[in-house]
Amino acid sequence: MSDRTHRLTIADVNERISGVVLDFPKPKVWFIGFAASFAVLMLLLVAIIWLFTKGVGIWGINIPIAWAFAITNFVWWIGIGHAGTFISAILFLLFQKWRTTINRFTEAMTLFAVACAGLFPLLHLGRPIYFYWLLPYPDTMGLWPQFRSPLVWDVFAVSTYGTVSLLFWYVGLLPDFATLRDRAQRIWVRRVYGILSWGWSGAGRTWKHYEKAYVILAGLATPLVVSVHSIVGMDFAVAMLPGWHSTIFPPYFVGGAIFCGFAMVLTLVIPMRKLYHLEDFITLRHLELMAIVLMVTGWIVTYGYFSEFFTAWWSGDVFERYAQVNRALGPYKGSFWAMVFCNCLAPQVLWSRRMRRCVPVLFAIGLIVNVGMWLERYVIIVESLHRDFLPSSWGMFHATFWDWATFVGTIGLFLTLIFLFVRFIPAIAMAELRRQVAQPGEAS
Amino acid sequence: MTDRRDEFSPDASSPPLEMERREFLRLAGATAALAGLAGCSRQPKALRPYVVPPDGWIPGAKTFYATAMPWEGFGRGILVETHEGRPTKIEGNPRHRDSGGSTDAITQASIRDLYDPDRSAAPVRQGTVASWADFSQDWLPRWERLRAAQGDGWGIVIEPTTSPTLRRLIGEWSKAFPKARWYQHTALARYDRAGTQEDYRFAAADVVLAIGSDFLLNHPAALRYTREFAQRRKIDQGRLNANRLYVIESAWTVTGGMADERLVLAPSRFEPVLRAISDGLNGRDDFASLGETERDFAAKVIADLRRVRGTGLCLAGPEQSASVRTWTELANRLLASEGRTVISGAAMRGDGDAGCAGGLAELTAALNAVQVRQVCILGANPVYTSPNGSEFREALAKAEYSVHFGQYLDETGEGCQWHLPESHYLEAWGDLRGYDGTLLMQQPLIEPLRQGKSAIEMMHWLTTGLAAEGYDIVRGGYSVDEETWREWLNAGVASGSGGLSRGGARGPHALFDIESGTAKHESGSIELVIRAEPYLRDGRYANNAWLQELPRPFTSLVWDNALWVSPEMAQREKLATGDVLRLTVKNRSVEAPVVVVNGTADGCAIAELGGGRRRADGSGKGGGFDAFALRGESETERWLGRAAWERTGRSMPLVQIQTEMETEDRHPIWQFAAADTEHLQPREDPAISLFPTPPPGSPAAASAPVHHRWAMLIDLSSCTGCSACVAACQAENNTPSVGKDQCGRGRHMHWIRVDRYWTDGGTRSAPQPVPCMQCEKAPCELVCPVGATVHSSEGLNEMVYNRCVGTRYCSNNCPYKVRRFNFFDFRAPRESPLHLQENPAVTVRARGVMEKCSYCVQRIDEARIASEREHRPLRDGELRTACQQACPAEAIVFGDLSDPNSAVLRRKRERTHYALLAELNTHPRTTYLARMVNPSV
Repeated sequence: MSDRTHRLTIADVNERISGVVLDFPKPKVWFIGFAASFAVLMLLLVAIIWLFTKGVGIWGINIPIAWAFAITNFVWWIGIGHAGTFISAILFLLFQKWRTTINRFTEAMTLFAVACAGLFPLLHLGRPIYFYWLLPYPDTMGLWPQFRSPLVWDVFAVSTYGTVSLLFWYVGLLPDFATLRDRAQRIWVRRVYGILSWGWSGAGRTWKHYEKAYVILAGLATPLVVSVHSIVGMDFAVAMLPGWHSTIFPPYFVGGAIFCGFAMVLTLVIPMRKLYHLEDFITLRHLELMAIVLMVTGWIVTYGYFSEFFTAWWSGDVFERYAQVNRALGPYKGSFWAMVFCNCLAPQVLWSRRMRRCVPVLFAIGLIVNVGMWLERYVIIVESLHRDFLPSSWGMFHATFWDWATFVGTIGLFLTLIFLFVRFIPAIAMAELRRQVAQPGEAS
Repeated sequence: MTDRRDEFSPDASSPPLEMERREFLRLAGATAALAGLAGCSRQPKALRPYVVPPDGWIPGAKTFYATAMPWEGFGRGILVETHEGRPTKIEGNPRHRDSGGSTDAITQASIRDLYDPDRSAAPVRQGTVASWADFSQDWLPRWERLRAAQGDGWGIVIEPTTSPTLRRLIGEWSKAFPKARWYQHTALARYDRAGTQEDYRFAAADVVLAIGSDFLLNHPAALRYTREFAQRRKIDQGRLNANRLYVIESAWTVTGGMADERLVLAPSRFEPVLRAISDGLNGRDDFASLGETERDFAAKVIADLRRVRGTGLCLAGPEQSASVRTWTELANRLLASEGRTVISGAAMRGDGDAGCAGGLAELTAALNAVQVRQVCILGANPVYTSPNGSEFREALAKAEYSVHFGQYLDETGEGCQWHLPESHYLEAWGDLRGYDGTLLMQQPLIEPLRQGKSAIEMMHWLTTGLAAEGYDIVRGGYSVDEETWREWLNAGVASGSGGLSRGGARGPHALFDIESGTAKHESGSIELVIRAEPYLRDGRYANNAWLQELPRPFTSLVWDNALWVSPEMAQREKLATGDVLRLTVKNRSVEAPVVVVNGTADGCAIAELGGGRRRADGSGKGGGFDAFALRGESETERWLGRAAWERTGRSMPLVQIQTEMETEDRHPIWQFAAADTEHLQPREDPAISLFPTPPPGSPAAASAPVHHRWAMLIDLSSCTGCSACVAACQAENNTPSVGKDQCGRGRHMHWIRVDRYWTDGGTRSAPQPVPCMQCEKAPCELVCPVGATVHSSEGLNEMVYNRCVGTRYCSNNCPYKVRRFNFFDFRAPRESPLHLQENPAVTVRARGVMEKCSYCVQRIDEARIASEREHRPLRDGELRTACQQACPAEAIVFGDLSDPNSAVLRRKRERTHYALLAELNTHPRTTYLARMVNPSV
């Protein structure tokens, strides 16, 4: 914990953090940002309407590349979500107190990323109106989902993850909503936060129950960090396609998800702390710790790439070997080497402590890693599909305007939700921070 | 041929009386009217419901009728499947030797033309829709005057035909109008020389030398030739009686793809090589003028042809120069092949008919000289198919009166004062002769949908001024009794007809030589080889989306024709596929996109006719370039030429379905040399499963229920890659065509595709039909989240369209990539007449669902129902898949592995049997026999 945090008082915490919501500082910046995000969200709306009108043919997918942007985006967004849960649940259980200032924000990020991710499996269906056939409901024909399919596992994994993340986030918000209720000037604001805080009284019993519930939810969320992306990894690992059929996928996908998620946290937190002057709360130390996580997970990802190449070579299998060589030297080699730069090389600047504490560098690395991790999924999906077993059926994928519109549109959705979040919900967990401020010794 | 016999045997489904048959056709017309085509039948008739059906009529059951399809004027016997009077599918007529029950892609696709919404629907007078009554009013006074003038100034253009009735009518017309002239025009080859045509016996030929001949695809008897040729390529219970095919050609043809030894030559080099061969056969080896590969090839040919006296065969394509064709005649005489592997007989088609005033050149001259003032063009499209289209069009404009009669309002129809709609061949009465001389009866399957008349009706009208029913005209020409006539109609073939008369030896052997080649190499120009488009022919099928979308052999191009150039030239001149060149011949120039094709003679460019239609609707418009403009007038300049070329700097997108033709160390094709047949070892099945199949006799195996186990075998030795299977599948399974743009995005929908790979370092090309492998351990089934693709008890990997939500995961996990997805709603518009073609037994798929080969499950069910009704087991060979039935090479075998005597099981026991990607342990039910090559050693 940095020196400046020590000097904060409980009043500081309450005033400055709830002030962001209640006093609505810098409305101009917020409105401009929100309007821009909302405009991009409208692009998503147009893209979806057009998609439902014409069919998935508006995208560049084909046979053999039957999955491309939609699944790339899905995996990317799910991955981004991971950092949130990792920070809130695992670091909570490991008593990493430094997480306190960023957990609320990253949990929100998780939730919004899962919302974006959840769109894609629905949108990518040829007949999206029948999406519910993937759910196990008792229908009159006695039909169930086909449980051997990883896509069914996905449904369970993602919906569970979404539910638990929402609950975890909301439970954590209860005391903060109460703080807002108590500090609000206007009656209707008080009413709204009052309802949201579910009659929080601040009594000892309430705190006791709250903390128990929070720990239980943290315990529940922890395995999900591992399971969700493992199962997403199995979407590929279960298939027999060279480049997908690899047992390393589950752990390597989890590592990649946390890598990408931390990068996204950096990308979002850095402008926010600047905008709302939260440098006291989200200090350089926090950023530095995140940078270290980024570097470690970056190495996990790099190891994953290496291991894919190694096992392909070691297997002696002509298809596997070709798939790997084709990644690096085939028609999509640009994406591959860009990915290597973004995910393996760029984070290496963080070996230097000076760089780890340089905010613009961290922001840039965050962005680069986000791009790199998107490319990683693109490389895995498109480059494996485009040249599989029989050369006769090889093909190429060319993204269309609607591919990009749908992808960029979800970024609009994500940012819109983030803007609404910082406007109406305290972006830093006040209740937790108050405790740390009150008991500085415990944190160190 | 056992399974269809009952449907056209003399007593099974034939209408008892001729009148009743016509009554039935009226009803059929009424059905069409009910189906949304009101107003298209010829005259208003009362609609009659099926309250009292015709005798023997079973609603919902399909009926087959025999008829004949014209192919460049020659007939091909076909059987047409109809549902409630609606023709839906064409099969070959086993009683016609030229078909043998098989079909080619064009025949399969011709059913689509019947329902083509762009087919000419009404007479058109100078661009305005009129009626037959209008035309009759306009024409008859003129006709009266012409009769008075004995036809002076009247010219008729017709495509050469084998139809006895039509030729009789032309004779009658000439007699009625002695001063009138008639012309014959064909854009494609003449198969006769001086009134005789050659027919080949590939079954008897041990060594074949084909010089620029695509007898396996581009020939009226190609189906018979393919069958006979393929028979000599098949391994049967370990035994092989292989023939050897030598091919000299300038660029790949389907025939060249089957070659055991292939020599790629520019046409200018044909003659020196042939001279060396003839010298060698005459005992004077002189290879001085030859290059190394040429010498090698010539030596092998000479040795082989000498070895097999009497069973050798030399043939040249009808496009080859007179000297090359004479050379083959003399070679066959020297080799004592005449009468054994090659048989000459009177020409079947009327190209050389006495009384014909000539071709297009003569007509143009006559028009310009105002000797012909009124012209009627029947069937042909000379404005498009002549090298000097604009010149002919100008001449045509000078005519006082011009009438075009054809199925489409095409370039010629536009250039004439009147355009009259011709009926589709499935709507008309007629007769045709096969290349083998068989007399084929052509009976209509449906009343004309679009006010068309047949050429026979038209010709009769022009002669007599009286309209008559096509039936009466055709029937009037045959003085057979009613019983025989009905037999003919039932069978589609006139009994006792056919067989070419054998010609005797016609000259001494000593003349066997060739005029010396006069080829000189000019820089800046390129040798042109012009040939018919494999599927669009002379462009007449340009409006057929199925044919447009059928990947072309060797280039895999769809929707465009392109100028083939060699990789050497492409490298030298820095050309890439899609670059547009400007070719100039004399004063005409054409812009053509280039496609680089391995195995093309360097310095040569191959131009295929049939593209670049200027006046066509729908599918036909635009695609490709018009190679007719590159043609000269003379007989040799029709097929060979020289053009100056230059870059335009532009390039256009060409769509190739298969972009990678190298095997990339994957061994999709297994190949063996005929000489090694004795030493072949059976390929062991890889046992890589953790759960091995229970050995026979074990309790686990005994408890398994006995079911049919459907399986397919494709013999790569005999497959020529003609793509008839692809077209047949499309017709049978209601597979949509998606257009060039969608093809370019990788979304074609064929359930079976013909892959082609270069083998032996690109010197050979091996086609490989790939339908669904129907894996026993299907990777697709595992990953479908909703269970939309499931395994049947008979081993079929079934697609449940209703359940499919369209995740496309199954396709991703299919190692063979045989699954096809409806990325858009690819169905024809609701009101389109194309729906009438659809097979009622096959679901038409909606947007967003996956589809794939079903092993024609509807045919399996149909056969099963039939066998259950008759309380008997299913007979082997009783049921055939659409691809199998169409295949002229009989390369596809389908049957039940549980039947110990089934043909498929027998053939799967060959030592050359292998499964595609067997190492993936998918246990495919579709497997292959390795490709046999028989190189000379």
